Amino acid sequence: MHRVNLGEFEELVLLVVAILHDNAYGISVMEEIESQTGRKINISAVHSALDRLETKGFLKSHIGGATKERGGRRKRFFNITMAGKGALDFIHSQRNNLYNQIGPIDFGVNYGPTGYSTA
Amino acid sequence: MDRQDIQPPKWALRLLRWYCKPRALEIIEGDIFELFEKRIAQGEAKMARRKFGWDVLRFFRLRYIKGINDINSLNNIAMFKNYFKISLRSLYRHKFYSFINIAGLSLGLAACLLIVLYISNELSYDKFHNDSDRIYRFANGQSGNWTPARLGIQAKMDFPEIEEIVRLSGPSSSTFKVGDMVFREPNGFAADSTFHKVFTIDFIEGNPDDALTEPNSIVLTKSLAEKYFGGSSAFGEFIQFNGRTTKVTGVIADPPKNTHFYYKYINAYPHDTWVTIGNWTANNFWTYAKLVSGASREALEEKFPEFKRKYAGDEMLKYSDYDNYDEMLANMSYVPTFSLKKMTDLHLYYPSFALGSNGDINNIYIFSGVGVFILLIACINFMNLSTARSAARSKEVGMRKVLGSLRKQLISQFLVESTIISVFAMILSLGIAALALDGFNGLANRDFILNDLLAPGTLLNLLVLVLIVGFLAGSYPAFYLSAFKPIKALKGEIKAGAGNAFLRKGLVAFQFAISIFLIISTTVVFTQLRFMSSQKLGLNAEQVLSISNSGALEGKLTAFKNTIARNPNVVSISHSDRYLSGRMNTWGYQTLEENSKNLSFVHLIASSDFFNTMDIDLVDGRYFNDEFATDSAAIIINEKAAEWLGGNPLGRLFTRGDGERLPVVGVVKDFHYSSLKSDIRPMIIRYQNKEGYVPQYEEDWFAAGFVSIKVNGNYQEVVAAVESAWNQFAPDEPFNYFFLDDSFDRLYDDERRFGRMFTVSSGLAIAIACLGLFALAAFTLERRFKEIAVRKVLGASVRNLTMLIIGDFTKLVLIGSIVAIPAGYFVMKEWLNEFAYQINVGVFVLVVPAILVAIIAWITVGYQSAKTALGNPVNALRSE
Repeated sequence: MHRVNLGEFEELVLLVVAILHDNAYGISVMEEIESQTGRKINISAVHSALDRLETKGFLKSHIGGATKERGGRRKRFFNITMAGKGALDFIHSQRNNLYNQIGPIDFGVNYGPTGYSTA
Repeated sequence: MDRQDIQPPKWALRLLRWYCKPRALEIIEGDIFELFEKRIAQGEAKMARRKFGWDVLRFFRLRYIKGINDINSLNNIAMFKNYFKISLRSLYRHKFYSFINIAGLSLGLAACLLIVLYISNELSYDKFHNDSDRIYRFANGQSGNWTPARLGIQAKMDFPEIEEIVRLSGPSSSTFKVGDMVFREPNGFAADSTFHKVFTIDFIEGNPDDALTEPNSIVLTKSLAEKYFGGSSAFGEFIQFNGRTTKVTGVIADPPKNTHFYYKYINAYPHDTWVTIGNWTANNFWTYAKLVSGASREALEEKFPEFKRKYAGDEMLKYSDYDNYDEMLANMSYVPTFSLKKMTDLHLYYPSFALGSNGDINNIYIFSGVGVFILLIACINFMNLSTARSAARSKEVGMRKVLGSLRKQLISQFLVESTIISVFAMILSLGIAALALDGFNGLANRDFILNDLLAPGTLLNLLVLVLIVGFLAGSYPAFYLSAFKPIKALKGEIKAGAGNAFLRKGLVAFQFAISIFLIISTTVVFTQLRFMSSQKLGLNAEQVLSISNSGALEGKLTAFKNTIARNPNVVSISHSDRYLSGRMNTWGYQTLEENSKNLSFVHLIASSDFFNTMDIDLVDGRYFNDEFATDSAAIIINEKAAEWLGGNPLGRLFTRGDGERLPVVGVVKDFHYSSLKSDIRPMIIRYQNKEGYVPQYEEDWFAAGFVSIKVNGNYQEVVAAVESAWNQFAPDEPFNYFFLDDSFDRLYDDERRFGRMFTVSSGLAIAIACLGLFALAAFTLERRFKEIAVRKVLGASVRNLTMLIIGDFTKLVLIGSIVAIPAGYFVMKEWLNEFAYQINVGVFVLVVPAILVAIIAWITVGYQSAKTALGNPVNALRSE
């Protein structure tokens, strides 16, 4: 099976772009990640990841219209490509496939009456 | 506070715009701004500003930083093309100014190029040796260059800091006889077998480790080996070296020229006790040491006083009248010790230690000063001409500004123009420098070849120089011209040099000052030279022929003298161990009386005829007399020595210890034995007999190293006669002779070179300054064409008008001389301090150069002023 070249943070960004669909640009992606995962990230890291994903062909971008709160500067919107969706599907299925094969694991903890008598 | 008033930090925004790729800038800026607004909306203005800055810094990633493609846009290249074209057109259009600009600049650059070549060569001396920073030369005390034989041997045993030592003697000349070729070869050194362990030498044939271990072995450089053995190998051959059969044990590559001792051959020391064991009192070796890496020179030097005391103390005491070392130490003004001089400093900083490389750090300063002066004059010309022509360019500047040119762009346009001129000048200067190379070699006493000039390093220096000049000379006109107000410029209201006349005049005055200064220096140098050669020497060196290797006549001297004495033109014949005007020995003597004093005397061992041959006058007592057996121990002193002695000198006794008693039999008038740079010092002349031996010492001490013959007219015949006698008595030695007055004359070669150097540079400076002056005058007259015409119509005479213009320039010469005369006076006074006998720098020497420069300026300007004044005023006034 071939390997998908995707870092952990890149995967996260790719997922969020897919979720946001038509409204994915630097800040919305950053805020979505912050609210969904609670991670504090810098905007430059998001930009960098978005650019990398575009070079890899998982995202495509277009320049949107100017908005007031940006002082007339335009936004760059990102959409997921077929390849991007394919990569997400592949990672997802591979992970699920592997996860489902995990048997019951005994970590050696005794859940017997003596252990939780006070619970 | 209103939300709208809160602005992000300016520095952050500027920084972002500076580094960020234009392609990504808008999006990044937009996102950072949006975040900023959002944070303000949350009511945290301070935090928002801080975070804005932080975000900008975080975006400083390779991905977003401008690359080379973002800086050199195509548009800029097109613009530069245009600057280039305009510059060339403007150069072409004003051929006269362009010519003067380029010619002046290239003369200046050529001078500078040669000077840079010289300086970088001087600074490279001895650096080619491996570990050159660890090689030191021993000095006896602080500045004595001769060291005892024992020093090196003992120092290496005692100090682990010393990796290796080597002793040298030389440079000396020796006679080579190979087959029937007999030559006297200079630049020979005798050395210990460790020579190759201290210095870097390249053995072509032979084993470095045993090349110099046996006596009577010699190592030849490749060029010398080829001279005697042609294509065949010299290695292992036997040659006659100073009459001894000597084996060639190695052939080495010729050393680079930039070394403080240039050797052609190196011979081994004999295995005699004076070399192998040696002593501490006879100083007759140069000693070099290579320290182990990391060893400190200072720490080592601190151990030397104790070292000297331990080994040399007893012998020093023997020759003094002190009872113990401490008492002697207490009575001395210095502590006997040794010191170490860095080998790489010998050439420039310790000329007396350098073995024939004649360098001097002062030459570096003088050459660089002259170079800077000349370049400065050339740059000033350039600046003056550019600004003077500003009116002509003002319309162009105005038009460019109207069409949207920024000041910055205009500045770069003018800088491009000046750089083009300097590049043209650079090409020309290479040609000039190549042509002047031979002359320069004479001035600098070096032998550079064309390849040195075209070496990449030199060319790089030149390029840097050109860019600096282009920028320096171009920046003032660039800033000045680009500042024009477009409306005024287009209306033609900008008059030539209204605002900058002061500066321009100042610069011209400065040029005059430099020229006057250089001429003053030249005059002083030559006046001093003439003074020295006209000075009475106290002896007559004229018509004295000296043979410089008469050591070969040992045992045959009397017969030789008898043979040449038959020639009627020979007046008298004498011999001595050294020759006057050459390097004299100094020997220490003390008086043999109560309260004895001692002194280091200039020392000569001469035959009885010496005073007659040299025409040295007697003041008191008598000359040596061969008839008196007691004269074998007699000495003659000069007036300075008599003065030092005090009282009646005749009959007083001198000694060098060991029971010697040398009575003074005569006092001669002081005479110069070396250049007038140094004072006459107390001198002792010892006796050698008719056969050339010194009877006082071992029988075989033959001290007639130089035979001097007083000739009466007809030199050529005498030289031929002496030579044929020489070939009869010393067939294995070439006949080497010189005339004593020439030899005295050569003592001032350095000063003469110095004088020539100043002549050339002041000539150059004046030539360049005149070029500029000529163009400037032409230009000024062009601008004042109408004014002159009106004056003429109103009745001014041609003479009035010419004087008017000339008067302006004369004022500038005056200002220049006010600066130059005191500067010249002090600098040259300093130079004269080197000489024990010096001229007074009089008013004449100071004022004449200023007048000379004024006359040159009048000639330069006068012709053009007269031409303008003579012109018909109608021509100027008709077209209004």
